[in-house]
Amino acid sequence: MATEARILPPREIAPRSIVRSALLTLPIMLWSLLIFSNSYQQPNPSVLLAGIITPVFMTALFFMMMRTSSTYRWRRWFFVSLGLLFPVGFIHQVMVMRGSMGIPMEEMIAGRTPFCFLPMPLLILPAALTKTVVFPGSILPGGGMSGGGMAAMAGLWLAITIVVGKGWCSYACFFGGIEEGMASVPRRAKLWKIDPRWRYGPWAILLAMVLLSLALFEPAYCMWLCPFKAVSEYVAAHNTVGMVQNGIFVVLFAGLVIVLPLLTKKRTQCAFFCPFGAFQSIFNKTSVFDVKIDRARCSSCTLCQTACPTMSLTKESIAQGMTLMSCMKCGACVDVCPKHAAVWHIKGTEVAVKPERARLMLLYAAWGMAIMFGGTIVAEGLATILHVFV
Amino acid sequence: MTDSFVFGEALVLGLSSGPACLASCGPVLVPSLLAEQSGMRLGARYLSTFLGARFLGYLLFAAVAWELGVLVALPPAPRLLLIGIIHVLLAGVLLWYAYSLGHPHVHSCPVSELVTIGVERKRGISGPAALGFLTGLSLCPPFVIAGVRAAQLHSVAAAILFFALFFVGTTVWFLPLVSLGCVRRNEAVTTVARMAMVLIAVYYFFLGSAMLMGRNVYGH
Repeated sequence: MATEARILPPREIAPRSIVRSALLTLPIMLWSLLIFSNSYQQPNPSVLLAGIITPVFMTALFFMMMRTSSTYRWRRWFFVSLGLLFPVGFIHQVMVMRGSMGIPMEEMIAGRTPFCFLPMPLLILPAALTKTVVFPGSILPGGGMSGGGMAAMAGLWLAITIVVGKGWCSYACFFGGIEEGMASVPRRAKLWKIDPRWRYGPWAILLAMVLLSLALFEPAYCMWLCPFKAVSEYVAAHNTVGMVQNGIFVVLFAGLVIVLPLLTKKRTQCAFFCPFGAFQSIFNKTSVFDVKIDRARCSSCTLCQTACPTMSLTKESIAQGMTLMSCMKCGACVDVCPKHAAVWHIKGTEVAVKPERARLMLLYAAWGMAIMFGGTIVAEGLATILHVFV
Repeated sequence: MTDSFVFGEALVLGLSSGPACLASCGPVLVPSLLAEQSGMRLGARYLSTFLGARFLGYLLFAAVAWELGVLVALPPAPRLLLIGIIHVLLAGVLLWYAYSLGHPHVHSCPVSELVTIGVERKRGISGPAALGFLTGLSLCPPFVIAGVRAAQLHSVAAAILFFALFFVGTTVWFLPLVSLGCVRRNEAVTTVARMAMVLIAVYYFFLGSAMLMGRNVYGH
């Protein structure tokens, strides 16, 4: 009783006016137009249309974030769109270039394998010890279907990561959206008792894959465990081992990205499996943004813990007023807290003094990155679909 | 003079191929070391047991191979068979080890526990010894290079000495792993290490089984 008496009343958060919200959205609108300006010179009407729809979509979502002070709800629209449209654009590109979703050995030997960010932690040790990049792609532009090469992808990733840390997994990753969409389908979780030790899964997979990549001289995760191979490119091998590999990809995708998110309302692949997510957690230490729990207002209702899609809040961490290092800065806990005790925070400042300012600074960085990185992928997928109709 | 040149060559060969040996043993050694208790002394004890057993594996293989004269002439099929069996055995030991670390009674004697109430019992050496011995036999590329060179020597003693010096050269690269003993152990670290051991064991089992069945794992 005495503890309850010390809890401060909920913080008052008034909605912003339309004019103020529009003014705050203006920089994002200009950034969107700049990023998609290339689309307006395209003769292809579907590309042109996608280049108009995407910046309007991204700007509208940001406007709603400014207007309603809710982050998670609006971000999810973008993130699920990114997750669904990435395979559409990618598979289309693969089919045009190769005529098949399968990647043959000749393509690998020629270094034309498309590079994604997931194998990056697996390449560090072999590169350090042997000066060899154990990925069958090109370091410089020209190789791979993305055309950007590994250097461009790694540079972009590093720049973004230093600022937003594991926010990458909520604003830039083109794989997490499908499971976030699946997790949002059921009203309640059917499977809610999850052993917290599963949270160590990504770290175990990271450790095992880094060591196996060094021992086998191949990106072991891409070869054996990546669930998203099921919706991007499979192993074009006509032998038992190839079948095993493709079988693993499909089973992992069906289990971790479709079934378990539906049952648990969690991003199960991100929370319990993704080694890149574990690697990315380390960069939460470099990022200036984090989420804190204002203990003066927290009533320990644990709604934030239930809402967290990656189990990054525990009773102990809430008592300490912080999230675990696996926090993806998605904003689910901040949105759901009835007392507004879960707040955005800039390291080095006092907790809950000006949380909205911290939120604005994070969102400008994260949304700017989302438009540049994810927005272009959304536009590509959208153009592929529009091409059927236009 | 020629002998000292050959043995110098063994040492240099070990030093130069050390990173490859480290990479080859890493998936077995690093998680099992992390799953153990913390402390430089305990780390050093674990590592020396592992390396000692690996050394025994080296010597045994060198002696048998030299005696039978099969190391160089070993055709690819039996060699794959041998590696396959070792991989399956490694997978078995890793699984057992990962399981036993979570269930201390598995490799403890109830009587000794009765007389050491309140004192944390030291773990046995059977786990690291078995893992070290099997990695010593696992025919990694540097090991085969050393084997080929040793097979050209005039006596079994010279072949064993060659392998011993080769081992000393490679061991230099393993010494920094003692520092893993400094990593603070908590539930997170040991659970991650045990999970990684299981995952690596599954991979080794698959790899070994594929080899035993004559499948080419890299035949895309």
